Amino acid sequence: MKIKKAKTTILLEIICYVVLGVSALACVLPFIIIISGSLTDNATILKEGYSILPKNITLDAYLTIFKAPQDILQAYKMTLFYTIVGTAVGLLMITLTAYVLSRKAFKYRNEVSFIIYFTSIFGGGTIPWYLMYTNVLNLKGTTFVMWFPGLMSPFLVILMRTFIANSVPDAITEAATIDGAGHVDIFARIVMPVLKPGLATVGLFLALGYWNDWYRSSMFATSSKTWELQYYLYDLLNATTALKQLSQYTSIASVDLPTQSVKLAMAVVVTGPILLVYPFVQRYFVSGITVGAVKG
Amino acid sequence: MDQKKYLTCNVLYREIQGRQAGILFPALLSVLFLICALPFIPWVSLTNISALFSALSITSEAAQNLYVSYNVVNLLSFVYYSEQGFLGLYAMILLLLDVAAIYFHVMNIYRFARYQKGVHGNLDLYAAGRLSMEFEMIVTAGTIGFAAYGNAKAGMKGFATSPLVYFLFLLALVSYLAIKVIEREERIRYHEHGLLKELRKNWVLFLMLVPMFIYFLINSYLPMLGIYLAFTNFNFRDGVWASPFVGLQNFQYLIKADLFKLIRNTVLYNVVFIGVGNVLQILFAILVSQVPKKWFKKTSQTFLFMPYFVSFVILQVLVYNMFEYQYGVINNIVTSLGGSRIDFYNTPSYWPVLITIFYLWKNIGYGMVVYLATIMGIDGELYDAAKVDGANAFQQIWYITLPQIKPTFIILLLYALGSIMKGQFELFYQLVGTNGVLYNVTDIFDTYVYRIALTQPLSIGLGTAAGLFQSLFGFVVVMVTNFLVKRKNEEYALF
Repeated sequence: MKIKKAKTTILLEIICYVVLGVSALACVLPFIIIISGSLTDNATILKEGYSILPKNITLDAYLTIFKAPQDILQAYKMTLFYTIVGTAVGLLMITLTAYVLSRKAFKYRNEVSFIIYFTSIFGGGTIPWYLMYTNVLNLKGTTFVMWFPGLMSPFLVILMRTFIANSVPDAITEAATIDGAGHVDIFARIVMPVLKPGLATVGLFLALGYWNDWYRSSMFATSSKTWELQYYLYDLLNATTALKQLSQYTSIASVDLPTQSVKLAMAVVVTGPILLVYPFVQRYFVSGITVGAVKG
Repeated sequence: MDQKKYLTCNVLYREIQGRQAGILFPALLSVLFLICALPFIPWVSLTNISALFSALSITSEAAQNLYVSYNVVNLLSFVYYSEQGFLGLYAMILLLLDVAAIYFHVMNIYRFARYQKGVHGNLDLYAAGRLSMEFEMIVTAGTIGFAAYGNAKAGMKGFATSPLVYFLFLLALVSYLAIKVIEREERIRYHEHGLLKELRKNWVLFLMLVPMFIYFLINSYLPMLGIYLAFTNFNFRDGVWASPFVGLQNFQYLIKADLFKLIRNTVLYNVVFIGVGNVLQILFAILVSQVPKKWFKKTSQTFLFMPYFVSFVILQVLVYNMFEYQYGVINNIVTSLGGSRIDFYNTPSYWPVLITIFYLWKNIGYGMVVYLATIMGIDGELYDAAKVDGANAFQQIWYITLPQIKPTFIILLLYALGSIMKGQFELFYQLVGTNGVLYNVTDIFDTYVYRIALTQPLSIGLGTAAGLFQSLFGFVVVMVTNFLVKRKNEEYALF
């Protein structure tokens, strides 16, 4: 009996190691190829294709990017600004809302939750949303419209509400109320201190959303001054493809076209910062993600 | 109880067959209101017809389709045939409110007919009555406003509100107040305060919600008004609110042209994403939870999550470099093995599989963490007990882990169903872009609308119609599934 039990457990563990090992590798491999490609010189890529370890290591690609850094630095600066402002404001708004919705003392919590959730199942669609910001509010081209639409999402509010409901029982806030504490006091002194995992998780999702966004630039930007980093990259890539197609038919020499390795180096520069944040947040992650229903 | 108050409303409190007379009147009134909502009952009529038509420059040809008087229900047909775009949005909002009012009247009558005292006494019944009266007041007042607005725009007295509408308004108002009065006693008995009292008591909590309300108002609720554009033939000269009202023309065009393809693509991709995605996410979560070595557990978790951080723009770089014709990684491998190059970017049949693979690649780690969080929360004693009973590792997973993550699975499934018509816009747009060759198998609602919004401003009505269809479909799907789940097991329901 005992031997048999051990056998299945061993079998399961072998499956775990093999499946997880292979898939983890599949997930990481593209990153490695990108990094190694960005360190390889362009001729080698064109001749021999990509490899896992860089051959003929060179920093040329990175040097090319930072030879004329104004554009990319501007995009960096704007993206940092959007990410910091958006994440901070969004986190505050989400936490305040989630706190109220998690309290049984708030009679209309289910109604308000539904009002929030409803926006994710029904809406005017992209075009009315776009016209709202451009024609009605006249915000086209401003920096405000780059971060405001991404502040909240029903899913994040519900995530946070479930987290607060689980980690701060009603009994505690009720006791504090009886002791004479107001809701602002309770929120700042009792709720906030235990919210670290929730804040880290929701904050990371918000920051990731801002960092990776290109859509709002494509919709609302009127000059490259307010572009987000991802849109800058997107624009660069598309310009490259268009130019390349053109040069196939005409005799335009491929002047100033970013080479393969430059594109990859760009990808590293653009993704790096947000990836660096992850290890700091990761330990809160599993405890921070708690899904619950709309009703509470 | 206050004796005097009792006397004034004596009639209202008297019970007839267990139903308070006070609630009988609103139910009867609801019947009356329903009758008055019938299309042939005139609410607004046209006066000084010839002068009005010339003021609004309605052709005699168009005039042939017009009636002398209208009800809220068919007011839109006036806007349609007379081509008065500026009245369209108003008439449409009125119509929606009227539909809501009719629904609440029916509910009011239904509740009264199926009367039973609930945990809050008659309060549910009163609420139903109050709601139907509130909406009746809004609709009647709105109709009065409609005539006034039309007159102001035409610069003459051409629309006349029927006296019936004023009468209905007063009736609804009186009935509303009557319900308020008889409801008070019940409220006190069951300690159910109204909104105002709650506001006074918990104003700090309400204040905390204000930023959220402003955000969703601007970002979601006000744009819903723009749904009206789906019924117009938008042009920039007339602008958003005065473009000609064309009824369902956009929808007809959509059905003829692209609707079937869009539904098929959007739904099929999402079904595969949800189905395969959840199975793999659960599988990986279980595997990660079973790994004994802590460092391996952590590292594999980190690696599996990493693709989630890749932006779709970067994904485009990645995919392009892998599948490009001349020097893409895959074609390099294929040629080095002696095969001939594959033209991925001009062969649609590869893309459903490729898009699915990259969706999974990006999202498995995230969903896995959600399930992992649930698995970590399972009581360890369950496993201990199973071990004592001689269950092997696989049996433990089958009989303990899987049933324990069922609630999480159902909730995630319900959330996913709510957006079954919402495509993964960024994924599709970045992988396919403007490559028209692939549209047949890769075009989803979101990419379709996005293209219209950015490149064909004259088809804005069409784009909005597609968006509205998408919204409505998802809404109905989630309402029905939630209803079914709720009937089966209240606890699993989303709302």
